[in-house]
Formats: sequence, C-alpha cells, structure tokens
Amino acid sequence: MSERGTWLQARAAGRDLLISMLDLRKVVDPMPVCPLPGGSRGIAGLVIHHGEFLPVLSWGGFPGCQAGSEPPMALAVLRFRLGLPLDRLGGTLDLGPEVWRETPVDDPWCPWVDAVARVGEKDLPRLDLDGLIAQLRRFRDER
Amino acid sequence: MDQSFDDVWGECEDLFMQARQTLVTLKEPQPAHVVQAAVNALFRTMHTLKGMAGMLGFTSFSRAAHRMEDIFDLMRKGRLRSTDSLTETLEAGIEALESGLAGLRRGRPEPEDYLQAIRRQLGELEAMARPSEGAHQDLASMLDIPPEALKALSEYERTRVTTVLMDGTPIHGVAVCLDYATFDQRLRVLSDALSTQGELLSTLPWEVPGDREGLAFLLMIACEAFKPDDLPGLPGELLGTSLLADPQRVPDSLRSEVAVEAASLPAAAPPEPEVPPAAVQDVEILRLPVHRVEALEARLMAVGQLRDAASLIMREGQEKPLALMGRIEESLLDVQKDLLQMRMVKVEGLFTRIEPMVKSLSRDTGKAVKLSFVGGDLELERNLLGRMTEPFLHLIRNALDHGLEPPSERLAQGKSEAGSLRISASQRGRNLRFDIRDDGRGFDLERIEARGVAMGFIKAGEHPSPERLHRLTLEPGFSTLEQASNLSGRGVGMDVVRTEIEGLGGEIHLSSEPRRGSLIRLSLPLSRAVVSCLKVRCGMHTFGIPIGSVLRVQAGRRKLHGGDQVDVHGLSLPMETLQACLGLPEADGQRVFVVLTQQGASAKSVQVAIGVDEVLGRSEVLLRSLPELAQSPGIMGGSPQEDGILWLLDPEAVLGLAMDSLMRRVARV
Repeated sequence: MSERGTWLQARAAGRDLLISMLDLRKVVDPMPVCPLPGGSRGIAGLVIHHGEFLPVLSWGGFPGCQAGSEPPMALAVLRFRLGLPLDRLGGTLDLGPEVWRETPVDDPWCPWVDAVARVGEKDLPRLDLDGLIAQLRRFRDER
Repeated sequence: MDQSFDDVWGECEDLFMQARQTLVTLKEPQPAHVVQAAVNALFRTMHTLKGMAGMLGFTSFSRAAHRMEDIFDLMRKGRLRSTDSLTETLEAGIEALESGLAGLRRGRPEPEDYLQAIRRQLGELEAMARPSEGAHQDLASMLDIPPEALKALSEYERTRVTTVLMDGTPIHGVAVCLDYATFDQRLRVLSDALSTQGELLSTLPWEVPGDREGLAFLLMIACEAFKPDDLPGLPGELLGTSLLADPQRVPDSLRSEVAVEAASLPAAAPPEPEVPPAAVQDVEILRLPVHRVEALEARLMAVGQLRDAASLIMREGQEKPLALMGRIEESLLDVQKDLLQMRMVKVEGLFTRIEPMVKSLSRDTGKAVKLSFVGGDLELERNLLGRMTEPFLHLIRNALDHGLEPPSERLAQGKSEAGSLRISASQRGRNLRFDIRDDGRGFDLERIEARGVAMGFIKAGEHPSPERLHRLTLEPGFSTLEQASNLSGRGVGMDVVRTEIEGLGGEIHLSSEPRRGSLIRLSLPLSRAVVSCLKVRCGMHTFGIPIGSVLRVQAGRRKLHGGDQVDVHGLSLPMETLQACLGLPEADGQRVFVVLTQQGASAKSVQVAIGVDEVLGRSEVLLRSLPELAQSPGIMGGSPQEDGILWLLDPEAVLGLAMDSLMRRVARV
C-alpha cells in the first residue's frame, strides 16, 4: 500500500471514491443506455462509444450500492472497456504513500476497493478495477 | 499469381518486419524478462517461417529457418547470452532469409544455403552452446519446493531457473488459492502483474489447504525486489510468499565456471527493473488490392450524391423524406459491407495452402492421404486467418506425423491404404468452426498419461479422464516424443496452437478413438459479419434472427403460451416464448411464431416455434460482437440502429435455451 500517483475524485453510488488515472481512459458526457436483454445484474446495458459497444456498469446491481436517483452527470470510460456512471466529478488528487490504509473488512465495497485514503477529514475508498471486473464476471457466471 | 500465395508472401513480409523490430529490442540494454520475451517472439517467428516455407515447398529456406530457430531456442534456454556479436549474427541471418524470400518471390531458384555468409559464426555459436562433457548444469534442485512439484518443471523452465540463479537473481514464490469459477481470469491477472516485476518462470499446481476450496498454484518469479503488495486483489487468495532460491547459495565452483564462460562473451546488460517493458507493437496491417479501394471510393461518392439529393429535396420537396432515408440507409450498409469485405477472405484461401503442404508431407513420410475440404465458401476475417494459419498447419502436420499410420500398418488393420484427412468449416452462431478429422490411430492416451505422470502433470494413482488426457497435449512443453523432428515433436507447437486460438477468443477441443481416428475442433468467434435476418419485436427490444435458421413464420388464430403446441404443416411443435428463453418478463400469450431449426437441418433436427410479439420484416445488418462483460445467453451480437440496438440472436443457443425452458415447465407440472 505504498502507492504514489494521481487519482480522480468522483462520486458514484452515493459515495465519494478515487479512480486511478492509470485506469481511466476518458470522461465523456452520459448517453442513453440501451438495456441488454437478459444481461447480468452488474451491467445496465450498452452505449455506442466511438463506433464500438461499451458496457455500462449498473451500481444498483452491486451489494451495498445505491443506484443513482438522478441521471449520471458523466461516464468514466475505464480500462477493460467499461463505462462507469458518475454522479459528480471532483478534481484530481496527487497522493503519497502515507495516506493509504486498509479497507475496513466490514465495508460492503471491499471486493472492489483495495485501500482507503485519508484526505482532510474524509476517508476516500480507492477503486480496484481488477476487483470490480472480477465481481462483474462473477455476476455473469451466476446466471 | 494465385491470390492465396500472395497472402502467404505478405504474411512472410510482415513476420520479417516484426522480427526486425524485435531485434531492435535486443540491441538496447533491457531487463532480463524483456530480453526473454523478445527471444521467445523471435523463436516463434522463425518457427512460423519454417512452417510456411515448408508448405510452399522451399526446403532450403525451411532448413535455414530451422537453424535460426535452433539458435533462438538455445538463447531462450539460457545456453546463449544476448550479446552484440550474437545480435549482429542474428540480424545478418534474418536479412539473408528476407532477401532470399524476395528472390523466391521474383522466381529465382533456391540457394543451397541461405546462411552461407554467417556459417562460421553460427557454427561457433552452436559449439559454444553445446553442453560440456556430462549433463549441463541444472540448479532447479535449489528451489525450496517439494520433489513432486520439482518434477513438473519443463526442461525450458529448469534452464531458466538455472540461468537466473547464475545471473544472481533471486527466485520468489507466490502461492495462491483461486476460486473455481474465476481461477483462469485471476491467474491471467496475477501472471500479468507479476510479469511487470520480473520474469515469470513457471506456474505450478499447488496443494490446496484442507480448509480451503478452489485451485491452488505456485507462481515462480525471478526478480530483485519482489513486491507482493502490488499484486491486484490478492487478499483472500494468498496462501503465502517465500524466497524459493537464493543466488548467494550457488556453489562457488559453479560460479567460477560461469565466470570463465562469461569472460569469453561480452557481458549482458544488467537488469534494470525500473525500466518499463518495451511496448509490443500489435498493429494489424491490411493489404488491399487497388480495385477494392476504388470500389469504396465509388460507394462514398454515391453517398455524397445522396447527400446532395437530400439537400435538393429539402429545398424543393420532390421526394418523401422516409424514402430518401431508406436509400441513404441502403447506401451506408453497402459502404459498411465493402469495408467489411476488405477484412474478409474465403476459408478456401486457407484450404489451398494446406493442399501442397499435405502433398509434400505425404511424399516425405510415405503415407498416402485422401484429403477433402468442406465449407471453403465461408468467409472469415483476414487477421483471424493470418493468426490461425500457423496453428492450423501445425495441427495438420501432427495429424500426418502422429495420427495417420503407414500404409502397411493400415492394411494390417483392415483399413484402406490411404489415410483420410477431412477438413471442414461451418458457421455456428457467431463462431466459425473448423473440424480436422483423420481416420488414423487416435491419440495414444496411455503414452500421454505415462508422460503426464513423468512430467508431473498427473499425480501417481490419479485416473484422469480421456478429455483431460487429450487436453494435456496442449500444455506448454508437453511432448511424447524424445526427439524433435522436422514435422513436430518439439512440444512447442501445441502450446502455440492453444495460445493463438485462445488469444483469438476461440476454443480448441480434442477427441479420438483408438484405431478409429481423431477430431480436432477449433471454434473462432467472428467480430463482424453482415447478417441477413428476420427482425422481430419482443417487449421493448428488437431482435434479429439469422434467416438461415428460420424455417417458417406463422400467425395463429388464438394466443398461445410457452409450453403449448403449435400446428405447423400438420406437425405439432413445442412453442416457447422468446422472453422465456432470454429471461425477460413474459407477455400474456402470443399469436406470432418463428419456427427455428438447427443449421444443416436434417429430418432429426430440433425444431421449436418461438413466440414473438411482432414480426417487423427482413433486413441485412452489420453484426458486431458484444464485449466480454456484456455477453448474454442467446445473443451473438448487436447492430446499432436509429432506434437503439438490434440484438442478433444465436439460433443454436436460442434453441438450447428454449429446450431448457420447456423442460423446466414440464418439471414444474
């Protein structure tokens, strides 16, 4: 947990979180999502991004997450070609190794959050994209 | 010149270009694992060139490529170090082969020895790499792992262990226990992450602790500073990490031996773990005849004319806008088809390459072969063809080398003198399926099992299924032959086959019956295709059903529900709703049915009436495959339309889902 780098601070599924700039391809305006018939619970559907299909994550399908009541304000396009709906965008943060600590074991986001950063008065969970993808694959395989 | 041979020349040129680029990597100081990756890539390139030249009947070229392949093999086994003089020799060898290829293309005769100019250097290298009296050094026993696990290391892995320890690099082990459902994906993620820290030497099966469920592995990595915290998502999966071998404990006597060897060679660049690995160039090059580009230009001009016409109509109101939109849509689809066509080649192109190779191998081995092809008219993407050619050729070589018996043996078994080799292609949903079927001796499962036990793939006393034994032949380094031949037996080919096919998102299945023959089945997904389909609506979704699988469309007088029977031409067929097949909310009965049948339908094939809300008509659409995370049962792809996405159904899968759903209904009753 000695990572130094730059993270995008954003709000999604009712929580502020950090997304590594290494995982982020770009942030685009939200677009209408076409629901996937019989799709797994973690995927809301597809959008067409640069002429290719891009699956968009459904926070509502994840345990401990709230689906946004308002339409998202942005869509983060992540590595592995995954769209992540964001309710709010903060700025970017450069964080050193001293701010990180373990994710509390009782945090329902544990499978896709690999650390928590103490920034000011706030604890910001760090998105673990590999963990998130693994969770989506588990949802898919559950069907 | 024959179009397919033109493609082979083109592929050879691309391979040489890649080889030159990879050699550049070797000229610069690089971390050891980057050098190793480059040498592996060059080894495979030479292997492919050797196979292609053999297929075209250029035996001297194939022999020269084989010699270069041997040099790269010695390098990857650590018996030759990457040095400036070695790189220069390799560069000269590759240049000689490349210019020789250009000569062959111009119709020049083959020289006796393409590598004559570097014959002396190659001889010295081979002599230098030859093990001294007695066996060559093997430090694998220094690894702190159980003897059973030690046995599982291949010769290549043992030489890498020895080399890295001699180089002074420690070897660390990471034992993990992974979930059954996701172990392959997690293993890939962990392997990728470890490869950024150093050289991943081996992945061994490991004992699962009594209190855990899943599959356990030991990943062995050679690196100066191992950082387990940097591995993604490890908590919960990690069983432990340890230092498996410390280079400080290599006996001094061995070190001095190496020092003498090293003195005769310029020293390899020290590893620089902080330098990120060189980016691998993965650019698909599309070769196109000029007439295809001109045809596309003409299509685009036609679209431009339509735009002009639309502009005129909007000003003067001569034509109804909907009719105009229809014409624009048609023109755009034509452009898309032309673009797609540029990426497609007929399967026949692959078949025409196989025929001369089989004739040549048949002559060399003295085995008569009756060769037949089915499905040459099907099309597949050019890049798929390019990447699957070498695996395919390897499978054919194997079938001839190991599968088919010599004529005398066949006659003694009451078989025809000539062996049969049947290669067929067929489209199954979004997959293109290739079957390679021979009537030879089948896989020698007893021998495979014995080798598997000896190599540590199988535990003594275990009784592996025939399916597992067949798949064992796809393991890296697995070979039942002690000696490599020109045809096969290096134990690298089947590994290449598996890696390539799985890298293309495909699958490989092997099966055989003793003395009856073998079947190798490759399934490759198509990423794009123009599909003629029947458009239907169900709830809020629009679906396309490939027209080849639609037997009949029928409207009933009354509403029917899933599980009811439909009378189709006096035949009573089971009816299931499309919603039930796809797990969508069901409508209150349906009156419209699409009768689906299996492709290549015979009298015994399954037929089911699928209930839909509405039939919208027939259309040609451009199919795009769905990203991995969005794959959904019964759906093979989508096509963007003005009102959303049209979902292309996979008829075979829908038939399966319909049968499952009907069975569940019966079970509930």
